[in-house]
Amino acid sequence: MPISRPTDVTATLDALAASPDADLLAGGTDLVVEVNLDRRRPEHVIALRRVTELAGHDTTDGRLRLGANVTYSEVEHDLAQLVPGLAMAARTVGSPQIRNAGTLGGNLGTASPAGDTLPWLLAMDAEVELASPEGDRSVPLANFLTGPKSTARRPAELITGVRLPRVEGPQHVSKIGPRNAMVISVACFAIVLDTTNRRVRTGMGAVGPTVLRSPDAERAVTQALDWDALTCPEDAIDAFGRACAEATAPITDHRSSAEYRRHAVGVLARRALRRCLST
Amino acid sequence: MTTRSVGAPVARSEDPRLLRGEGRYLDDLGHDAFQIAMVRSPHAHARVLDIDVSGALEVEGLIAIHTFEDLPPRLQEPLPLLLPHPSLTAGRTQHLLADGEVNHVGEAVVMVTATDRYAAEDAAERILVEYDPLPAVVGPERARAAEHAVHDDVPDNVAAHLEQSIGDAPAAIGAAPNRLRFRLDIERSASTPMEGRGTYARWDGDDERVRLHTSTQAPTSVRAAVAAFLGLQLAQVECIAPDIGGGFGVKIMHPWPEEILVPWAARELGHDVKFTEDRREHFVSANHERAQVHWIDVGFDDDGRVLGLDVEFIHDHGAYIPYGLIVPIITSTQLIGPYKLENYRVVFDSVYTNTTPVSPYRGAGRPQGCFAMERTIDRIAAHLGKDRTEVRSVNFLQPEEMPYDFGLTFQDGRPLRYDSGDFPASLEKLKQLVDWDGFEERRAAAEAEGRLLGIGLATYVEGTGVGPYEGGHVLIEPGGTVQVSTGLSTQGQGHQTVFAQIVADELGVDLADVRVVTGDTRRFPYAVGTFASRAAVMSGNAIHLAARRVREKALRIASEALEVDAEDLELADGQARVVGSPDTAIDLKVVATLSNPLRYAFDESARIATQFANPGKEGQPPVTDDDEPGLEATDYYSPMSSTFANGMHAVEVSVDPDTSDIEVVRYAVVHDCGPLLNPRIVQGQVLGGVAQGVGGALYERMAYDEHGQLQNASFMDFLMPYATEVPSVDIDHLETPSPLNPLGIKGAGEAGVIPGAAAIAAAIEDATGVVIDAMPISPSQLHEQRLTTAQDRPGDTT
Ligand SMILES: Cc1cc2nc3c(=O)[nH]c(=O)nc-3n(C[C@H](O)[C@H](O)[C@H](O)COP(=O)(O)OP(=O)(O)OC[C@H]3O[C@@H](n4cnc5c(N)ncnc54)[C@H](O)[C@@H]3O)c2cc1C
Repeated sequence: MPISRPTDVTATLDALAASPDADLLAGGTDLVVEVNLDRRRPEHVIALRRVTELAGHDTTDGRLRLGANVTYSEVEHDLAQLVPGLAMAARTVGSPQIRNAGTLGGNLGTASPAGDTLPWLLAMDAEVELASPEGDRSVPLANFLTGPKSTARRPAELITGVRLPRVEGPQHVSKIGPRNAMVISVACFAIVLDTTNRRVRTGMGAVGPTVLRSPDAERAVTQALDWDALTCPEDAIDAFGRACAEATAPITDHRSSAEYRRHAVGVLARRALRRCLST
Repeated sequence: MTTRSVGAPVARSEDPRLLRGEGRYLDDLGHDAFQIAMVRSPHAHARVLDIDVSGALEVEGLIAIHTFEDLPPRLQEPLPLLLPHPSLTAGRTQHLLADGEVNHVGEAVVMVTATDRYAAEDAAERILVEYDPLPAVVGPERARAAEHAVHDDVPDNVAAHLEQSIGDAPAAIGAAPNRLRFRLDIERSASTPMEGRGTYARWDGDDERVRLHTSTQAPTSVRAAVAAFLGLQLAQVECIAPDIGGGFGVKIMHPWPEEILVPWAARELGHDVKFTEDRREHFVSANHERAQVHWIDVGFDDDGRVLGLDVEFIHDHGAYIPYGLIVPIITSTQLIGPYKLENYRVVFDSVYTNTTPVSPYRGAGRPQGCFAMERTIDRIAAHLGKDRTEVRSVNFLQPEEMPYDFGLTFQDGRPLRYDSGDFPASLEKLKQLVDWDGFEERRAAAEAEGRLLGIGLATYVEGTGVGPYEGGHVLIEPGGTVQVSTGLSTQGQGHQTVFAQIVADELGVDLADVRVVTGDTRRFPYAVGTFASRAAVMSGNAIHLAARRVREKALRIASEALEVDAEDLELADGQARVVGSPDTAIDLKVVATLSNPLRYAFDESARIATQFANPGKEGQPPVTDDDEPGLEATDYYSPMSSTFANGMHAVEVSVDPDTSDIEVVRYAVVHDCGPLLNPRIVQGQVLGGVAQGVGGALYERMAYDEHGQLQNASFMDFLMPYATEVPSVDIDHLETPSPLNPLGIKGAGEAGVIPGAAAIAAAIEDATGVVIDAMPISPSQLHEQRLTTAQDRPGDTT
């Protein structure tokens, strides 16, 4: 099986154009599991670790760009000030070994409804940057995620990073899983109180075919909040939890019942909101 | 002065080697061996219509492909039924490779041998097996409903039906002032050791011998099985258990099909052959346990005294029953726990299902029995509004009633007879340890913080040290090293350390001079195996007896050499010396040299020994009729019956009122395994058991769907508790000695796991008010139960 090790995006796209069925390998924490479980048989692997443009982060015009190869460890240790919610999400992922290897690009590439960075990225209205021989494009995350483990990425395209606005205000991400660590989310919730735009942003994971948000819940709580004091009436908090839960479309499997997923995400929503409010 | 090491928390001598990565596990052996990959059934139940191997033949490195048809007649026979029982009327065991029908996902169909595992898997994948799927029978109740049969010739799916009783339970229940009836479920789980199964065989064509390394808890039995299937004399088969990365019961099953196929292939191919199970295989092709459904009918008086207990249960033993009825028989008898039941009836059906077969997993039927009994006691307490410890107290068998014969037959076919224990004292200790009486204050404090706190307890009695025997060999070499061996194998229990302690004390030598070898038929060919918390009791006592013989012989030789009375001598500091005048002494290595008339005069000991040269007795040959050369002895320990250890656990859980998340916040154990040979090791055994108990209560389960597909066959979804889930555990010991063996000890290996599910269920019930009648339980399940029970306490806002 051939392995390409390009060092820049152009070479990567060339390799991809030459063998469109090649598997892109970032940290391998999803891909190698798939191979082990015999769900995927790579005929050709393109290893992305050396592609310089996929590394690191930068800020231009007030927008933040995170490279596809940014790992969870980098997020939790180096970017905690810049993207606190994403750092919280990163800390819930796997184990230190997994966090050293796993990347944002991989989480996006897999596009599991339980991908733990996705709720926060969705809350932030992140855009996925894609490069291809036809040129670059960026797709809002909500459009990028088309279903469980399916995306709008075209075969010749490479995810180069995500772009998001810089947002002021408290944020929180938490997840529930069937064990305290190293688990796939049963429910994951991200909230950002965008104090600049005075808007509550949310994202919910593992409770639908893709990560999703509840525009109704966001709208109602945005109105109920006292943005100067950062307080919210109790009944509005409860209503927020309920509205979030209602917006979900979970499944039942051996990890959890659908009913519990829906319930749990409502609890997380209330708690996450409370954490962001001043007491 | 040699200090006594038995009873001291001696550090485990095996750890430095294992921690440095110097262990030799099965897959560390045989680097040049051919490797095996199995084509396993993807179906729970199907006929095998055709096997097409043509696509695999081109694979580079392929050595051989074998199907059932390719095996010689002896290897076409099914596996032995290891433990026949008169009530096991429809026992079916698997073939080494499927004979036209598969009965569970993971059953071996084709064996592929290649130069390495990669090639073997590549070839295995190209083999096309055509199946005709049949309806799968999954779960004990569907098995008994018998809409479909697992085996055509067992239409009711029932392999065995067994009833045992004491007194007249139905009559006693009928006459009792109070009666409760309910159902209790325990789901399937499995041992899941870190190292899966594995076998490596080396055939020596010149010597016509096979040397087998296998990751087993029963090397001597594997040896006998291999000899029988391969038509070899026992002397032609050596079986060695190398370092084993955990067993927890599953490796007592013997022989696995691979344990026969691998040495057979090695002989056929004239080359080393190895099979190393991978994790996915382990989930579906290594045995499981636990799944049982119980129906309880209990009558009791107003104090909570059980007047009659009637238990009916279904035991799901999976697709085959090679290990017989051990697990359900243990449930039947050990369910009784520390209680004096005078009217008890228990009846079970052991049923076939299209799932992985069952054999004992640490605890072996006891966690289920404990769950059934302890949940029953809790129900009685709830019904009468009494404290749960009080209801236990009124039912306890009292210490002065020991030994107590229940009139039932235990797993070893011998009477169920408790030999020791002081249950009221244990309970008192437990109440102190967990501050049982102060709990309501803690509950109130937690409630103020919005947490639901609950406490529960569970008690058990565990038959340990099951017979028939184990043996030990002890030899003092002329170089001074003490060589010890016993036949059973070790999987992390610290046997090397503990057996060395026993010998060091008996012979007055330094621990570091004692070398212990376990599980090597070249060193000790007779053994039963490591299961039923028996190694310390059985091999420990056998080694103790053998060491005592060596001691006697050493004293005799020393007394002749020093010309003092043996009674005036002691063994200490590696010497035999005169009590009170230690300058009159002789080194044990010199004694060892003297024990052999041919002294191999190659070393210092031999030179010293010459000083003591004894002309021998007049008119006697150099080795007298009642003597043997060498300072060594073999002895066996064979008890009349098992010795019964016991214990009690109390646990506090905190339940999140919103998410139903369950956290174990406090765990207390009172444990009675008699005198502790090594408190550190017992502590480790108990702690590990508790962790496994927490796993069994809250995380670990085999999630089969209705088609017999295991949904969570990986560590991604079969969740073991981590350090984040295992609480710190307070352990206290009661040491009531067993009158049955010289060391007075009782087994400790399984104890920690037994009451986990029962105690944690009780604590969750206490915290939430929801009746917990099925384990394990997840937050998702608890949430649903809380909704349906609609008993939510104030403070629960959902
Ligand atoms: C033990 C364990 C625990 C885990 N725990 C969690 C958890 O708690 N939460 C969670 O969300 N996930 C978890 N995961 C899943 C995994 O770690 C994450 O999804 C991770 O982000 C994947 O990143 P990676 O770099 O390893 O991706 P890879 O495995 O290398 O790739 C994943 C997929 O994305 C594609 N891909 C990668 N990079 C690109 C790119 N630049 N452009 C286009 N496609 C690309 C690959 O082709 C592949 O299909 C866990 C995995 C393991 C093994």
